[in-house]
Amino acid sequence: MTSWHVPRVCCAGDNEFESMSKVKLTIKATIAVWMTAVVLGAFLLAIPKMPILEHTARNLYFHVPMWFTLMAALLVSAYQSGKYLRTGNIVHDIRAEQAAWVGVAFGVLGLVTGMLWARFTWYTGTGKWWNNDPKQLMAAVQLLIYGAYFVLRSGFDDERRRARLSGVYNLFAAATVPFLLYILPRQFTSLHPGADGNPAFDEITDPVMRLVLYPAFIGFIALFWWIYDQRVRLALVERALDEQADYAQPTA
Amino acid sequence: MSDRPKQSGLSAWVSGTWAVFEKDLRLELRSRYALNTLLLFVASSLLLVRVGLGMDVLEPAAEAIVLWLLILFAAATGLSRAFVAEEERGTRLLLQLHARPSCVYAGKLLFNVALTLVLNLAATLAFSIVVDVSVASWGLLMLVVVLGALGLAGATTLLSALIARSSNGGALFAILAFPVLVPLLVSAVNATLESFGSGNPTAVEAELRTLFAYAGTVITASTLLFDYVWND
Repeated sequence: MTSWHVPRVCCAGDNEFESMSKVKLTIKATIAVWMTAVVLGAFLLAIPKMPILEHTARNLYFHVPMWFTLMAALLVSAYQSGKYLRTGNIVHDIRAEQAAWVGVAFGVLGLVTGMLWARFTWYTGTGKWWNNDPKQLMAAVQLLIYGAYFVLRSGFDDERRRARLSGVYNLFAAATVPFLLYILPRQFTSLHPGADGNPAFDEITDPVMRLVLYPAFIGFIALFWWIYDQRVRLALVERALDEQADYAQPTA
Repeated sequence: MSDRPKQSGLSAWVSGTWAVFEKDLRLELRSRYALNTLLLFVASSLLLVRVGLGMDVLEPAAEAIVLWLLILFAAATGLSRAFVAEEERGTRLLLQLHARPSCVYAGKLLFNVALTLVLNLAATLAFSIVVDVSVASWGLLMLVVVLGALGLAGATTLLSALIARSSNGGALFAILAFPVLVPLLVSAVNATLESFGSGNPTAVEAELRTLFAYAGTVITASTLLFDYVWND
């Protein structure tokens, strides 16, 4: 008869599962309520009708927070990679990988919501999905970097080596990204607010919309943290199970 | 290094770096493997471009892009060798014992810069002849080529050390390098285009500054991160 028990996970703080759970549960319940309010507000609150934009303006509540979330994920991932290189604690590598993973999910959503929105407002009538907007290109490059990061990771069997070398790549790539901010807007025109002499965001955005948008920023970043935290714990449990299996089976 | 005459910190570092560079240079001159690979790659892809074009003429913007893509792909085939060769010959441990990590990095960087300079100059000259580009300012074009070589070598040296530790190096190198090289490519293409057109350096000041700062940033980041790769 096999008996199941949850393996003890090392390093992350053995107490994390017991003592933190109540605090985390409260935070997560708050996020759930908060996001429900944001989504309701996003779809139900009356917004000023603008020609062409019409109700697509509601996409603002989803599209823009995706980018802030991607940036938050990017910072968390780079920070955790740096921390791994300094301390050699494998938990930081797991955190860096999961932050990148969730960041990619938000980045893809941001890209898709942006492409859809632009196709039917800015570029309506042209039938174009891709218009070399600097922000679009930057996002695509960042997603490619994370793609390379994951491919690099899959090339190593040794856990320590994988953590170390992919951490180096993560930090190295992060150092080159700021150049895109400077060089891309010079070559490509943008219809985004605040770029190329377009009116700034706060000049053209109705106060009612800000009432939903600002909470949406907080909500989506909190949602990122929730998923990220969940995935980190899952990865830690998986790792512990693997280790247990390694001990249980005699090596051939 | 212990049985060598005592030297002060900096001069020991410089001579250590030079020794690594000299070693690579000698090995290269013996076989000319990397150099021949790069030059033949440039020659054969140029020929493909020319044959594909037929009697057509490219737009200046397309010329600049083709030139830099050519350089980029040539670099992806040739520059990844720097550390892979140590791994293949089994000389990595020896190098680790005999030289400081920063000396190894600087020596390899120096060698890669030299190699990239030769590659970039050869590619640009051959390109301007074969594709019949009218260049307004050779000075500006050479400046872009040199700054581009610095950035290219700076970014790829660390990455080649990374992939040398991986089991599937070759293909991985391009995947890792290209997203990182986007800022370099965009500004180099812009500045090259200007050198084909009116050739006014002040018009592309931002691009030149970006190329310079990019080289500085990637070399600094590589210096900081190299220890983690080398001592793996």
